[in-house]
Amino acid sequence: MNQPHLFVEVHILQSLPPSNVNRDDSGTPKQAVFGGARRARVSSQAWKRATRTEYARQVPEADRATRTKRIATLLTERLARSADKGGAGLAAEQADRLATALLEPLGIAKSAKKDDQSAYLLFFGKKQLDDLVAALDGRAAELAALPADELKAEVKKLPVVQTLSTGHPAEVALFGRMVADLPALNVDASVQVAHALSTHAVRTEFDYFTAVDDEKAEDHGAEMIGTVEFNSSTLYRYAVLGVHQLRDNLSDAAETRDTAVRFVEAFARSMPTGHQNSFAHRTLPHLVLLTVRTDQPVNLVSAYEEPVTGTTGLAEQSAVQLAEELKKVGETWGNKPLRTLATYTAEKDKVTDAFGPSLSFPALLDALGALVGDWLDGGEAAVAGDGGEAAVAGDGAEAGAR
Amino acid sequence: MTGTDYAVLLLRLAAPLQSWGGPSRYNRRETRPQPTKSGVLGLLAAAEGRDRAASIADLVGLRLGVRVDQPGSLLRDYHTYSDYRGVPLLSAKTNAKGQQTRTTPAKYTGVTQRFYLQDAVFVVALRGPKPLVAGLEKAVRHPVHPLSLGRRSCPPTGPVSLGLRPDTGLEEALKEVPWKAGEHRRRQVRDATVSLEATVEDPAGDHLAVDVPDTYDLKTGTTFGRRAVRHLWVTVPTGHAEPPQSAQDTGPTGQSGHDPFALLGW
Repeated sequence: MNQPHLFVEVHILQSLPPSNVNRDDSGTPKQAVFGGARRARVSSQAWKRATRTEYARQVPEADRATRTKRIATLLTERLARSADKGGAGLAAEQADRLATALLEPLGIAKSAKKDDQSAYLLFFGKKQLDDLVAALDGRAAELAALPADELKAEVKKLPVVQTLSTGHPAEVALFGRMVADLPALNVDASVQVAHALSTHAVRTEFDYFTAVDDEKAEDHGAEMIGTVEFNSSTLYRYAVLGVHQLRDNLSDAAETRDTAVRFVEAFARSMPTGHQNSFAHRTLPHLVLLTVRTDQPVNLVSAYEEPVTGTTGLAEQSAVQLAEELKKVGETWGNKPLRTLATYTAEKDKVTDAFGPSLSFPALLDALGALVGDWLDGGEAAVAGDGGEAAVAGDGAEAGAR
Repeated sequence: MTGTDYAVLLLRLAAPLQSWGGPSRYNRRETRPQPTKSGVLGLLAAAEGRDRAASIADLVGLRLGVRVDQPGSLLRDYHTYSDYRGVPLLSAKTNAKGQQTRTTPAKYTGVTQRFYLQDAVFVVALRGPKPLVAGLEKAVRHPVHPLSLGRRSCPPTGPVSLGLRPDTGLEEALKEVPWKAGEHRRRQVRDATVSLEATVEDPAGDHLAVDVPDTYDLKTGTTFGRRAVRHLWVTVPTGHAEPPQSAQDTGPTGQSGHDPFALLGW
């Protein structure tokens, strides 16, 4: 591999109707000043949670990470399973003894009240437990028969912590994990998400409401009154995925490719749920731009430092300004992405020039999968291809036909 | 200490949000008004892809200078967290085994205050051995981990590296860099020059900053050492022609020629 880093950046433009998806302690939609103008803001934490939930919905149950206190039980079960089913074929008691010994170096004490539970939740992949059983290398029965001291010494030689600190489930590999008292299990996130900001200046509006009592016929006063604050905005959302970091976290090429694609899909389709029943703000992006690079990731929010203005909709102008910024950054600083892939609706020459032809979202994801797969196989050269629109369109069509 | 074996790396740190915490703990995560040494070195270490446990002794040896091109303002972010299974949060108390106990009475939602600098632009100069800063410059342009300005959710806008300068003092280096403020800030200043606040590391300095990290290793946690700094003002051209006659009346945001702090000498 001739190039160790690959970043996939996701730039999304998305319009929200009057809504309040992310609010502060006084109920006001979150805001920030940028370029001297007040903007609507949705915190990165809020959108990451929405992405995580969306991601979990896409993934089959068996591949999901599990966050459980019952790691010892799960491991015991595997050790007791017969060998042809991937287990070690131990008797129940021995399996329990071995599992306890194996987990001891992790410092996972059993919960005082419930014997089969560890004291706190651990976020790990089910596959990691299989790997742990495999690491015993057929010596399970031999180990389980050892006296306590010798067993302890033998377990020390086994790669228990390594096994649980590699081959992470996708969600851990994407969003990271922090275990305060087991630092060996910490995982650096491969995804970075910026706070979403509106491309234009925003003023908070106040919706005064009254609620009436259906059963109160005699007088017509309101039973309660209040205000809900809201705004409507066209948001610029930005995230970077370090594919190399994801691969290191997952240590599996095919899974890295699938996870990268699923992340982009989940990020694009997700939406924080604040005040959802009041505003029904579930929209889809009108532009998803992927820029693939091996140099410094560039947050293109600078396109909107000068806020977009207009009376006939801001989405199209936002797309044009994003196209101009991408071009400008490429020309002035030489930070041209290796490839761009885009799904958009604003059919303008400027936009097409900068982003290439619009692909349908499924085709975009297929093209991304092919691209990430090529990079994992062959490095930068495979991704750069012949460059240009022909290659992008070719990939999309090919992927679509599959 | 001048010589050809030293060089100065110049960085531009700009983003809608930045957060330079320093030793900020628990539920109130503050930000300093300027990038901290810990934050800047962390950005460089991440760019190089250094392990958290890796030594940062060489980085700590760099001398740091910061120029405030656009001071920005403070943003308070209200942030809640809860356990997704709906169980009570952990308390600060531990049981005999050293494990945290759950809150009683049960508390389900925790609140943290996170502070950010919004709409700020800084120019940072780092002086050190040439091979080291040259390597860092390359790393910033081809980082291993995505760069962030003090907090992971604060990716920089625009390229971060302004390149290398041959060896000069930090103050001279900061004087040479053109003003990097945004359009709206430029419009507010009509003078031909603007005075920018700066802080440079200087053993003879009369202020202390407590932001020198010893390690980024999570196992041990970071403790912060002190360094002596000096505050100063740097005057750079704005790119505007000679000021109009009324420049004296541009008001508090206009940064006219009147600068009360200049008398204080910092």
